[in-house]
Amino acid sequence: MLNILLKKLIKAGAGRIRFVMAVVGLSVSLLLIFSSVQLEADYDDMLNSKNNKDSVANFLVINKEVTGGQASTTLTDAEIADLKSQPFVEQTGTLTPGRFKVSAQGASNSIPFSTDFFFESVADDFIDVQSTNWKWDANSTYIPMIVPNMFLTMYNFGFAPSQGLPQLSAELVKSLPVQISITSAGETANYFGKVVGFSDRISSVLVPQPFMTWANAKFGTNQNAKPSRLIIKTKDPGDPVLTAYLKSHGLTTDADKTRFSKLRKTVDVVVGVSWVTGAVMLLFALLIFTLFIQLTIASAKDEISLLITLGAAPKQLHRFLMGQFFPSNIIIIGVTLALVAGLQFLLQQVLHNQNIYLSPLISMFTILAGIIMLLVLWVVNFTTIKKYVAGQR
Amino acid sequence: MQIELKNVVPVPLKDKFAQRTSDIWNAHINFNQGERIKIKAPSGTGKTTLVHILYKLREDYEGEVLLDGKGLRQTSSEQLAINRQQQVSIIFQDLRLFPNLTARENIELKRVLQKPFYESGVIDAMAEQLGVTHILNQRAALCSYGEQQRLAIIRALVQPFSWLIMDEPFSHLDQANIGKAVALIDTECEKRNAGFILTDLDDDTHFTYNRQLAL
Repeated sequence: MLNILLKKLIKAGAGRIRFVMAVVGLSVSLLLIFSSVQLEADYDDMLNSKNNKDSVANFLVINKEVTGGQASTTLTDAEIADLKSQPFVEQTGTLTPGRFKVSAQGASNSIPFSTDFFFESVADDFIDVQSTNWKWDANSTYIPMIVPNMFLTMYNFGFAPSQGLPQLSAELVKSLPVQISITSAGETANYFGKVVGFSDRISSVLVPQPFMTWANAKFGTNQNAKPSRLIIKTKDPGDPVLTAYLKSHGLTTDADKTRFSKLRKTVDVVVGVSWVTGAVMLLFALLIFTLFIQLTIASAKDEISLLITLGAAPKQLHRFLMGQFFPSNIIIIGVTLALVAGLQFLLQQVLHNQNIYLSPLISMFTILAGIIMLLVLWVVNFTTIKKYVAGQR
Repeated sequence: MQIELKNVVPVPLKDKFAQRTSDIWNAHINFNQGERIKIKAPSGTGKTTLVHILYKLREDYEGEVLLDGKGLRQTSSEQLAINRQQQVSIIFQDLRLFPNLTARENIELKRVLQKPFYESGVIDAMAEQLGVTHILNQRAALCSYGEQQRLAIIRALVQPFSWLIMDEPFSHLDQANIGKAVALIDTECEKRNAGFILTDLDDDTHFTYNRQLAL
């Protein structure tokens, strides 16, 4: 009953246009702020969630750019140490080159082939193939190998049709024994090799590290060969700092994997612009809102003054006025959060088709931002009301 | 609640009362719980000023007003609101109704401002007694002064109080209506065991006063 009477005395009708302006301004600014928080959270999610580990490259093979003029493309210890100390590098591994000649040929006559090639090895942590056969010791009957997926594709769709050879499935290749010949100092040793997996990550023929250590010791000709390729694990291959570092040091990597760098820059700009615009708009919206509260109180000056004379407690008036102004803020925050949630769902649908997986729900951080904004609005409302009611006494 | 005035004198009247004595200004005086006090004074001697000082509407005075030993100047705005809701009720000389509320709403507002002392039906009973039932749903601005004064009296009586302060409360009423109002005020003060302070220009025999003071 008291509230009904107070409502009759203190009409919030004054300055309705100002109120609409404040509501629109507040909504747009909150939408921008929440969107920027959500975008940032999405990008973070894209880099860190399990689902995206493979869709977003986290491992980069790095080597010096071959320009034709330089003396060597090997990496010095200082260069490696410097790269290791960069903040974007989580882990580094060296691709150990084989220091001996290798040739391979078909062990059966059904698929006759013969080729010279090479071996490299890298710590198991960096390998994207899971296989129980990926192990080697002195008693092993064959050398497990991982070859680039691209080789199989090249063979099946380029080489085989042009030579009239049968196409091979991955399973078939894995079951075929290959005869490996290692030549060193005029001597040749023969082994059996077997492909145990295909890698998308490293474009090299990989053998287990223990085999490489053993073989380099046994057949190696140049004991101090420096590595020329590194593999690094990074949180964000799209990090523009990383791209810039590589460029300035004459290093290169699969451009495909750093394509996120452009995306990253765009995300940064969009987030930055929407953040700043949102914050500036929020300030103005809060100002208008404050003016609206001030105007409402000023236009009910006589009524408020008499109410206090008759014994209305300032607290009672604060509570009533908060009840008049604050619910609209709760609604605005609710609506803008719902809008951001809707946009997030749409974004998830669109990106899902491009094999980028996002959560269909808005992030905890966005909700947290909503709660913080609610607190900010509460404080602004309350202090304004308190200040101007006190001024009417 | 006890009201104590210690050498109080309003600043604008200071020079005037430096010349002559008064029962209240520049005096040390106690109003005890339940006392019925009449303050008689000619125009311009500060009746309304005294009422406003007691109700803490103005503070341009020297000396000290104590309510139950506590300085009125030091009372916080929240405590003041509690006092006005529970202890001290007032009938202003200038009535002070909300012009845009109906007569009933004006009274109802005071009834529900704190935990109600009376049911809302009491408003009708009091209005009946003072003969203002027919204007209860009329905007206060449209009521005559006589009607507004009776509404102000009813408004002051629907709340709990231990002191009722009345500033020329019958100035717009005829003798018959004064009689009815006096009877109502008398009953309501009895019920609460409350005292009152009534200011007026002339002597009267409306109530049995414990003390009659002159400004």
